[in-house]
Amino acid sequence: MKLLPKDVYRELADALGEENISQEPAVLDGYAWQPAMNLTNQKWIPRPAAVILPATTEEVQTIVRICNQRQVKFKAHSTGWAAWGGPSQEGELQIDLRRMNRILELDEKNKFAVVEPYVCCGQLQSEAMKKGLTCHIIGAGPNTSALASATSAWGYGGTGLSTGYSGRNVLGVEWVLPDGEVLQLGSPGSHAGWFSGDGPGPGLRGIMRGFSGTQGSLGVFTKCAVKLFPWYGPPQPRVEGILLDVETDVPETEKMFFVVAPSFKKYADISYEIGNAEIAYWFCRSPLNAGVDLFMPRAGDRLFESKPLRALLKAFQHLGVALLSSPSKREVEYQEKVLRKITVEHGCILLDLSKAPGYGFWWWLMGVRSIPTALTFRAGGDFLTSYGSPVEYDNAIRQAEVAQECKQKYIDQGYFKDDMSDIGWGGIYEGTANWGHCETAAMFDRRDGQAEGRFKYLEDSARTTIEHTLGLGLSNLPPGAWKVYGPQLHNYHLWEARIKKAFDPNSVGDEQWYVPSIDEIEPKESSSDEQ
Amino acid sequence: MNDLATLKSDMEGCSRCSHCKWVPMAQIKSWRFAKICPSVDRYNFHAYSGGGKLIASNSILEGRSEVTDPVMEIVYRCQLCGACQVSCQAYRDDIDLADVLLALRAKCVTEGYVLPEHLLMIESMKKEDNTLGLLKADRGVWAKDLDLIDINTQKVEVLFHAGCRYSYDEDLRSSVRNWVRLFRNAGVDLGAAGPEESCCGGRAFEMGYQGEMKNFAEDMIGRIKASGAKLLVTPCSDCYYTFKYLYPKNGMDAGLRVLHAVEYADLLIKQGRLKLGKCASLRVTYHDPCHLGRRGEIYKMGWNGVNKLHRPVRFKQMGNLGIFDPPRNVIRSIPGLDLVEMERIREYSWCCGAGGGVLEAFPDFADWTARDRIEEARAAGAEAIVTACPWCERVFKDAIAAGGDPMKVYDVIDLITMSWGG
Amino acid sequence: MAKKEDLARIVGPERVVTEEDALIAYSFDSSFVKGERPECIVKPRGLDEIQRLVKLANDQGFALVPCSSHGPHSRGDTVPTASGSVIVDLSEMKAILRVDQRNKVAMIDPGVTFAELQTEVEKQGLRIEMPLLPRKTKSVVGSLLEREPTTGPKYNWDAIDPLCCLELVFGTGDLFRTGNAAGPGSLEEQWASGQAQKMPMGPAQTDIARLIQGAQGSLGIVTWATIKLELMPALSKGFFVAGQTLDELIAFTYQILWRKFPDTCLILNNVNLAAIAGLDPKDLPPWTLLYSLSGLTHLPEERLTYMEQDLAEIAGEFKVTPRRNLAGVAADRMVDLASRPSEEPYWKFRKRGACQDVFFLTTLDRTPEFIQAMDGLTREFGLTRENLGVYLQPIRHGTGCHLEFNLMYNPNRPEDSARLPALFERASRACLDLGGFFSRPYGLWSELAYAKCPDTVMALRKVKNIFDPRGVMNPGKLCFKKEA
Ligand SMILES: Cc1cc2nc3c(=O)[nH]c(=O)nc-3n(C[C@H](O)[C@H](O)[C@@H](O)COP(=O)(O)OP(=O)(O)OC[C@H]3O[C@@H](n4cnc5c(N)ncnc54)[C@H](O)[C@@H]3O)c2cc1C
Ligand code: SF4
Ligand code: SF4
Repeated sequence: MKLLPKDVYRELADALGEENISQEPAVLDGYAWQPAMNLTNQKWIPRPAAVILPATTEEVQTIVRICNQRQVKFKAHSTGWAAWGGPSQEGELQIDLRRMNRILELDEKNKFAVVEPYVCCGQLQSEAMKKGLTCHIIGAGPNTSALASATSAWGYGGTGLSTGYSGRNVLGVEWVLPDGEVLQLGSPGSHAGWFSGDGPGPGLRGIMRGFSGTQGSLGVFTKCAVKLFPWYGPPQPRVEGILLDVETDVPETEKMFFVVAPSFKKYADISYEIGNAEIAYWFCRSPLNAGVDLFMPRAGDRLFESKPLRALLKAFQHLGVALLSSPSKREVEYQEKVLRKITVEHGCILLDLSKAPGYGFWWWLMGVRSIPTALTFRAGGDFLTSYGSPVEYDNAIRQAEVAQECKQKYIDQGYFKDDMSDIGWGGIYEGTANWGHCETAAMFDRRDGQAEGRFKYLEDSARTTIEHTLGLGLSNLPPGAWKVYGPQLHNYHLWEARIKKAFDPNSVGDEQWYVPSIDEIEPKESSSDEQ
Repeated sequence: MNDLATLKSDMEGCSRCSHCKWVPMAQIKSWRFAKICPSVDRYNFHAYSGGGKLIASNSILEGRSEVTDPVMEIVYRCQLCGACQVSCQAYRDDIDLADVLLALRAKCVTEGYVLPEHLLMIESMKKEDNTLGLLKADRGVWAKDLDLIDINTQKVEVLFHAGCRYSYDEDLRSSVRNWVRLFRNAGVDLGAAGPEESCCGGRAFEMGYQGEMKNFAEDMIGRIKASGAKLLVTPCSDCYYTFKYLYPKNGMDAGLRVLHAVEYADLLIKQGRLKLGKCASLRVTYHDPCHLGRRGEIYKMGWNGVNKLHRPVRFKQMGNLGIFDPPRNVIRSIPGLDLVEMERIREYSWCCGAGGGVLEAFPDFADWTARDRIEEARAAGAEAIVTACPWCERVFKDAIAAGGDPMKVYDVIDLITMSWGG
Repeated sequence: MAKKEDLARIVGPERVVTEEDALIAYSFDSSFVKGERPECIVKPRGLDEIQRLVKLANDQGFALVPCSSHGPHSRGDTVPTASGSVIVDLSEMKAILRVDQRNKVAMIDPGVTFAELQTEVEKQGLRIEMPLLPRKTKSVVGSLLEREPTTGPKYNWDAIDPLCCLELVFGTGDLFRTGNAAGPGSLEEQWASGQAQKMPMGPAQTDIARLIQGAQGSLGIVTWATIKLELMPALSKGFFVAGQTLDELIAFTYQILWRKFPDTCLILNNVNLAAIAGLDPKDLPPWTLLYSLSGLTHLPEERLTYMEQDLAEIAGEFKVTPRRNLAGVAADRMVDLASRPSEEPYWKFRKRGACQDVFFLTTLDRTPEFIQAMDGLTREFGLTRENLGVYLQPIRHGTGCHLEFNLMYNPNRPEDSARLPALFERASRACLDLGGFFSRPYGLWSELAYAKCPDTVMALRKVKNIFDPRGVMNPGKLCFKKEA
């Protein structure tokens, strides 16, 4: 086990206090157990040499400066869920940001909040709701950090139709660069408030992240303003229960529907129509068989064994859940009328969930809090995801179709739980924008030691993504993917590598989930650069 | 009880989602009161969370790390409040977090990683049959003049078990006596073991001295059986949890119905056998003691499978069947009291701080945890925090006294007594 | 001259302009930016030529100033600062390469103007979100690369909108495509698979388009872009809300934005409203909110009906009165005017012949502070109220606000011309000091704005060094001045 050099440890401990740093092996292992997205056949990821808990931007800066002076690689995380939040090799310093946990500002009128890394979406949403607002919550759930998703990772969420995508909801940002300098993106950098993240001049958000973030490879984000969105439901709804037992009172102006389309094509059609009609608060594909597996996995096992029941579930394969929401009865009535018209015109079935028993459960868990994705762990104890690039929705639906076929082979071989294969999840985003995403999860029990077969599936899904021109999906982005896709996509990796070099001259930011410095990819170029 | 190694699959199931640090997601109501685990909230390293201890256990089992003094601190700076298990099991079927925490402690003890404060308690239990280091002979003092039926010599229908803290804590003496008066008032003849009453052993078990509980349990069950009691009533939540969960989980059956005093009071009120008077107007909030609430959930027997992924949900120890409504019913039945709820209640209640041996070994941490709860009570607009456990009451009272806080602390029985003009 | 010959070899001799008048025309514009006369103007026709031009500039070390719109220019961003500069005039690259009706997106060359694009997409029932009355010659790509605010905050999710993907040549001469246009797959393969290059993010973990936006041509040259379109409403209805004070309009505006009702939504003072509608400011209330509601493909009348009913209630609550006419002008006409380019003369010049704009970003609730300060300043400089236009444009769903002051003056009156530069500078400084965010720092503003954010400057210089290491792209702009 690699430890930090004693004097480095001492320097860090002196700066932050003994109680905020540890190199106790059992403590460090708390950061080396990252099964989610651990795409190796090892159970553990590399153990950090030490873990440190800063409470302020200045402390983060101190840590990063010491890392630069002493050539120690680091990786920061917010809540630290998944392998990309941990080190890629031994000897690194793990920065756990959980002590930076405040909501610094919640601007009701201008609809944004300024948060620190360890504010989880559930917290932010509950405070925002009190002011008639809500935040975007990624599918992973309200336990994730609003800042992490906005600055450093993807940003897909079921409510994207009205709450967008994390990467596009960012306003001002405070960033401790890998060399220890603080950069404030946009208006906060000019002491003008947090309402804007781009400028003066070029939008430096462009080096902060793209479709995905740099996953902790390019410094540490210490504050960030995220857009908030109108919330028309009650400010503090009465909610009883914790999951399947949830009960709440839903206002009559919050209505949910199952929309069942007869085919992939028709499903895409109604998604375009619903987006264009500006009627729904959100609309997201969630095949019924997926719901069965999430909410009642044991019963699901039995259901899936029965041919007639399988056929019945198949009839609900192209299921989308729509939420209509407004403070006005008139508006919801209009929206419902249009929704009915669209579904009829496209030969779809519309089921009014609001009339179903336990409607509050659906509304609160799925419609508001985005909780169900975590249930994907229930059936097998783990899952992986694939396909799911952000793209025009026709293409997104095509992804579900391709995924269904590809995944079935691996279900047949016993690598994944039988969930009837198509559980393609994802909806349309940003109102009328017509883009969306549809990712396909696959559930399995990691403890059975069959990792290899699952890697093969990931490779297969990545390959078919390219074959069918389905964008760069989630299965195309494991560490080192740039080696394959960079050359296909205008050598984007070289530009990223140049950014990496310019902003992280000592290569102290763990680059596993991004790119290494250009010096490592093209040593020649960098030597000719020095002039 | 489970050996750590038998829980390896549970450990390996952890996805490190950190749900166990928060109240169940559906229940987050504010920024301030969204967290659920005092341990990680106070000490921050992931290892302090429920999931973190799961990982540490796995690491130790695999020989990647060892129990050391710092590890011991992590293990013991945990109230075993069970909140992490509730949040985890809100969506995981295959992880019994609380079992791992208990097994980890047992391992520490086996390997000699013990805290002197805990040892003192164990010694006291061994020597004096109580957790507080006091004389066994004084155990029955609390019941002086109450003329309880002595179960050592007579048969009874209803056995009253006071528990260690109520037996000895003089500040709480009136509470326990009032419980007896209350039940008497409803026409119930109570028996008690007097100085022969002994500790239930639950605390020893939680502290990691799992074997110790067996002796106490056997002793207790023997006495119960001899008394002929059909019902055991205890005002102590800790004991309640031991009877309802720990004994059956460890294959021990007292063979009688067990009710917490508030449950019994609620029942008697419903049966019309008890009538409560009025209180001066007071806005109160109720704190669910962990051991009466989520951990007081009856042990769910009957599933013997291996792969917990296939375990039917009804066998999951989710905490939602704990005792939540009876105390609230009792409070509501007293005119003048206005019961307001805190944000973290029922099975996702924030711990008072006293449990798991924390009060004995890390009083500052217990105090810190209690203060967070008092803050929450204040945020709910309460003038008083009401509980149904002497341990909670103790730690709240101490925290309030130290901080000069105007918040009042009552046991449910205190309110009942007040309603009678007591 | 060798350079001109080399240039001619790339674009053809007829597309290298060296006429004195043309060159002079590029050496200044209506801003106060002083510059150099370019050495020549080249008019490339496509990617290949542009790439070769950039490589030549790198080899020979001369500056390129890209420019997509026909003049007259007014921000100083196309005025060269280096001697021997070459203007890369893209205004004749006018192809509308593709309009995808289903995905509501167009792919266009940099020289396409708003009017040209609008005409084309209208045929497919679509429309483009536009800035407020752009001048007729304004390039769509140019405008959006400059982050000019558009008039419909509802459709504006992020600062980059409605710009989607770009094809561009970096200052290094390398070709790049941003967003999903980068791949995988060729454009044709992407189209065949249902894609339309609408997703602006990426590729992968950077957002190059965001860097190019706001760069004033200093990082690369865009050769085509895709633009997000919206449906042409089946019905549209405009409304005015007149306000004696701005505050009453602001509160109401926040509320209707929260309800996501209006398409067009902006606030003008009487001077600007008069200039656009051809009225006398005296006949108008000090402040007017203009908004439109639309009926879309499904049940358009019913949509308008419920919105109007709801709005009537909201208006009652906020004690304002939406109306369909103001001083004899129909709101519908105003909405229509506000959704197309300005007729000549350009609306800001109508009153006095010239205009200087001071604009920046803030939030809607803070605008009155700036307006008050500006009122004081213009009075101090003897500019009467009737010559100060004010335009408030909520952006990004109302999370921010573009605030624009239009200082209208007569360029032929010596005292006007004499005092304007000083007023402009004082006004700019005052707004900056009050916390105005000059996100698009042209001319003088670049000095002022970048002085406030040295950390941003350091980062931008690193970026510049990556994408234009030899500094051939529009040197001297933004914070890319010659370092002392
Ligand atoms: C089960 C599961 C489901 C998921 N589902 C979705 C989904 O539906 N949609 C979606 O968009 N994503 C999803 N993700 C990925 C998710 O976006 C990221 O895991 C992350 O944003 C979640 O937030 P977090 O608090 O866990 O972040 P963390 O795990 O803390 O961090 C995520 C990444 O960002 C980096 N990072 C975090 N904070 C900082 C910081 N302050 N400074 C620098 N770097 C930082 C970390 O190093 C890490 O690489 C899922 C992940 C998992 C494990
Ligand atoms: S113990 Fe459960 S809740 Fe905690 S991190 Fe592990 S899986 Fe998540
Ligand atoms: S039992 Fe309570 S204190 Fe211990 S880890 Fe779980 S939640 Fe934290």
